[in-house]
Formats: sequence, structure tokens, C-alpha cells
Amino acid sequence: MRSEEAIREVYVLGVGVHPFGRFADKDVIEIGREAVLRAIDDAGLPWQKVAAAYCGTVFAGPMAGNKVLARVGLTGIPIVNVENACASGGSALRQAYQAVAGGFCDVALAFGMEKMPRGFIAGNPNDWFAVMGLGVNPQYFALKARWHMANFGTTEKHLVQVSVKNHQNGALNPFAMYRKAMSFAEIAQSQMVNDPLRLLMLCAPNEGAAAVVLCSKEIARQYTTKPIKLAAIVLDSPIYGTAEVPHISVSARVEAPTVTMTAAEEAYETAGIGPQDLDLVELQDTDSASEIIYTEELGLCQRGEGAKLLDDGATEIDGRIPVNVSGGLLSKGEPLGASALAQVVEVVWQLRGEAGRRQVNNARTGLTHVYGAWGNCAVSVLQR
Amino acid sequence: MLAANETDARPVIPIAPNLFELSAEGARLIGSRCVKCGEVTFPVSAFCPQCCTETTETIPLSRRGTLYSFTVQRFRPPPPYRGPGEFEPYGVGMIELPEGLRVTAVLADEDPDSLCVGMEMELIVMKLFEDEMGRDVLGYKFRRVHE
Repeated sequence: MRSEEAIREVYVLGVGVHPFGRFADKDVIEIGREAVLRAIDDAGLPWQKVAAAYCGTVFAGPMAGNKVLARVGLTGIPIVNVENACASGGSALRQAYQAVAGGFCDVALAFGMEKMPRGFIAGNPNDWFAVMGLGVNPQYFALKARWHMANFGTTEKHLVQVSVKNHQNGALNPFAMYRKAMSFAEIAQSQMVNDPLRLLMLCAPNEGAAAVVLCSKEIARQYTTKPIKLAAIVLDSPIYGTAEVPHISVSARVEAPTVTMTAAEEAYETAGIGPQDLDLVELQDTDSASEIIYTEELGLCQRGEGAKLLDDGATEIDGRIPVNVSGGLLSKGEPLGASALAQVVEVVWQLRGEAGRRQVNNARTGLTHVYGAWGNCAVSVLQR
Repeated sequence: MLAANETDARPVIPIAPNLFELSAEGARLIGSRCVKCGEVTFPVSAFCPQCCTETTETIPLSRRGTLYSFTVQRFRPPPPYRGPGEFEPYGVGMIELPEGLRVTAVLADEDPDSLCVGMEMELIVMKLFEDEMGRDVLGYKFRRVHE
């Protein structure tokens, strides 16, 4: 548990991304470097001011963060490499937050990058359940989707609608992989992958990077007129009893809250807000159904009413609570280590009023959410 | 239940130890039950994930359960998947057993498109593939109960 007295306020001073997509002419280290340089440039302070760095990546190999920063400048600072599946970037951000909040340094960098293999992520050769044909994405997401449909009346039409919305948003995002709106029919007729999930309802593993410079209140005062407060960054693993990816069996006796619920609750409490105070949300739309389910688990609506929230238009860019205005993972793709940080970058741009054609009107408070293998989940709250 | 004659001629080996047992009454999955809290897990685990203590005993699990959720695997999974050379879509389901757990399993069902949540399902143990040493590798699946 944290002690209130020891905690300093933490601000986002600079953000940067390398576009998400496929870049045959660049290695992953270069992709990471470009995002870091953009974040440092956006922060407006010299690189030598950064006193600690945390790098999230899954596929970039050992010491990837050190390799990136060797091309930015060797200044002797601690560099920590974090692997935590889809929450790798969120985990790096939490480490950077703690360094500043705890007073160990005044400026810290969190960044992440990937160059992921094409296609569905391969399993561990020693996993017998993968040999049998289990344990492969997006099976588990499909199982959750089907359950939601059977119990709450969510339909295939809703799954298509989520993808239509996010691709519409993604068409407005120059950093997304698919910058193209897709029609209802195109999505509804795309190849079935894991019923009820079709190809254009799924996010693609890809390449990209994102970086965030955090600082103390004092530094923020010196360097920016648009400080964005990182009011909370929570990393949770699941409590026993919930169905996480992958599962060979799940308890039917234990009714534990999901890791998204626990992380969100903690983030709301830390930030001193509730879901009703949010102006936008970037969440883990690994697939269309996940977006609907997470809107419920994040408390944006009641349990079982995620499809209704969508039907009401609440999650659209001009709706009551816009969800994935960046285009989400469905449009951006998911470079694991960069994903959570790119969500934070999007929310920061939105809160600064710098989001261009996809700007949410007068956004003051935003939330980010990632979820991945073994139930790792990171949730942040940002405020201006 | 083991398909007739399938194992007569050749040596067989389970895909992993301690997953299931074969007897005259048919195949059963082997699980663990905590003697303190009663939580049942599969596969066998020395420790109870609820109590976080090593307080479990090994028990056979019910052969039948109900389909809690399902999907159809439409593409050939990446390695280490070892299925038939010619890929056929197959069902994957969570089967809720009376012991209070949901087992995720491949479904041996000739018509996965007609599956429904709530269907009664039963366990079978069957040959999955032949390994490098010419042995039939056995695994468990569930299929709908026809009555």
C-alpha cells in the first residue's frame, strides 16, 4: 500500500510515437529511437535531464532498451527492460511513475517498441495444450465473446459495429496501421477466424514504438504551459478464479472480479474520480467483443449493457464517452511493448487539444487500459 | 471412452502424464481437490490455488458436463500444433463439470456449427497423431451426448 505523504504528483512532459505498421527498411532499435527522440523533443528539455529509463518490449530481445538509448546518448542513467506481454509498456510507465512519484528522480522516460513476427503468435513448443490445438489467439477471446452473446444478447451486428467505429476513427489517425474506414458489409463478410470473431474484428500484431517523458510538478512548471497529470497508473495481475489467457480450466465456484475491474477500481480511487468523470477511454480492443466487455468492466456502463452503450452511440467520437478515438488496436495494430504507451500518447494529445480531426471536444480526463497474457492489466488516468 | 481397436496394434502414450485415466467404465480426467476448501482444479496440482497451500488430493472428474461457451477454430494453429495434415476446422469449448470447474478442450464434433451453449457434453480420449517413434499419442476431447 502506498503512503500518501511520500507520493509526489507526476506529470507528462513529452510524448512521441513511431507510426504503427510494417517497416521493412528499419530495425526495431531504430523504430524505438525515433519515438524516444520525438518524446524528448516534445518535452522540450535536454536529453541529459532524463534520469531513469524503462523500456517495455516482448520481441525486441535482451537489453533492447539499452540498445535504443545507446543511439540517443549514453548518460549513465539506470535503464530497465520490462517484459510483461500486452502490458509491457504500461509496466514500464508504472516504473517511471514510481521513480518520479517516490522522489528518486525528477525526469523519467518510459518507452516501448516491437517488430513482431507476422501472423498469429506461436505457442510454446513445450505446451501440450498447444500441441492439441488449444492456447492460440484469439480462441479465448472468442470464448468470452460467445459467452457474452449467449448471456446478454450481444449480437454479431454489435461486433461489426465496433470495428466500423474504430476503423472510422483510425482513418483520422496518421499513426495508425490501417488508416481507412471499412464498411459494415466488408467487416461482416470477412473471413471467420474463431466464431464469432472474423478477421476484420481482430487486431494485428505489428511494428511501432511510443515514448512518454514523466516529470515532477516543478519541472512541469519550468518546461510546459500544458501540463498533463498522470493521476494514476495501476498494474494488476489477476485474482484466482477468473478466466485469463490462456486457461486449461477455470473455477466455476469462485466469483472473483476480473483484473480489469480491480485495476480500474484502484485507478479511479487513486485519481479520486469515477467512470462518470471520464471524457475519453482508450481500451484493449484485441477484438470487437473485448471492447464491449471492457466498457462494462471499466464501469462505463452496467454489466451486460456494453452492446447498448454502443447502440446508443455513446462510444463514438462525439458520444457521451468516446472509446478508442485513436482507432484502437483494431486500426493501429498491437506492437505489445508500445501499445499502452501509445494509448497514453493519444490521451495526452486529446487533453492538450492536439488531436486534429479526431479531437474530442474539451476533453479533460482520460483513461487507458491494456490487458494481455496471464491477465496482466495496466490502467492509467490522465488529467489536465 | 476409447474408440474401438484404435490402440490394439500400436504402442500408445498420453500427450502429457497425469491428465486422464482409462478404465473399463471409460476415460476420466484427473483433477485435484483441496481438502480444506473443496476447490477442484485440472490438471492435477499439488497446491490449492485458492488456499495457496499444498492441501490437495487427486480425484477423477465427472465424464459429463455442459457447454459453457465455445468457438470454432477456422485456421491451422501455428506450431507446436500437431493436427492432421489436411486441416479441418474444429470446435473449442469450455465444459462446466459438476465438481465446479470449466475445462477448456478441443471438441470432437463432426458439426461444430450446430453447437449451442448449454449442450450436454462427454469426455473421450482418442488418438491425436503419431509421434516420431511410431506411437499413437492420446489426448482428451469432449463431444456432445447423443441420446
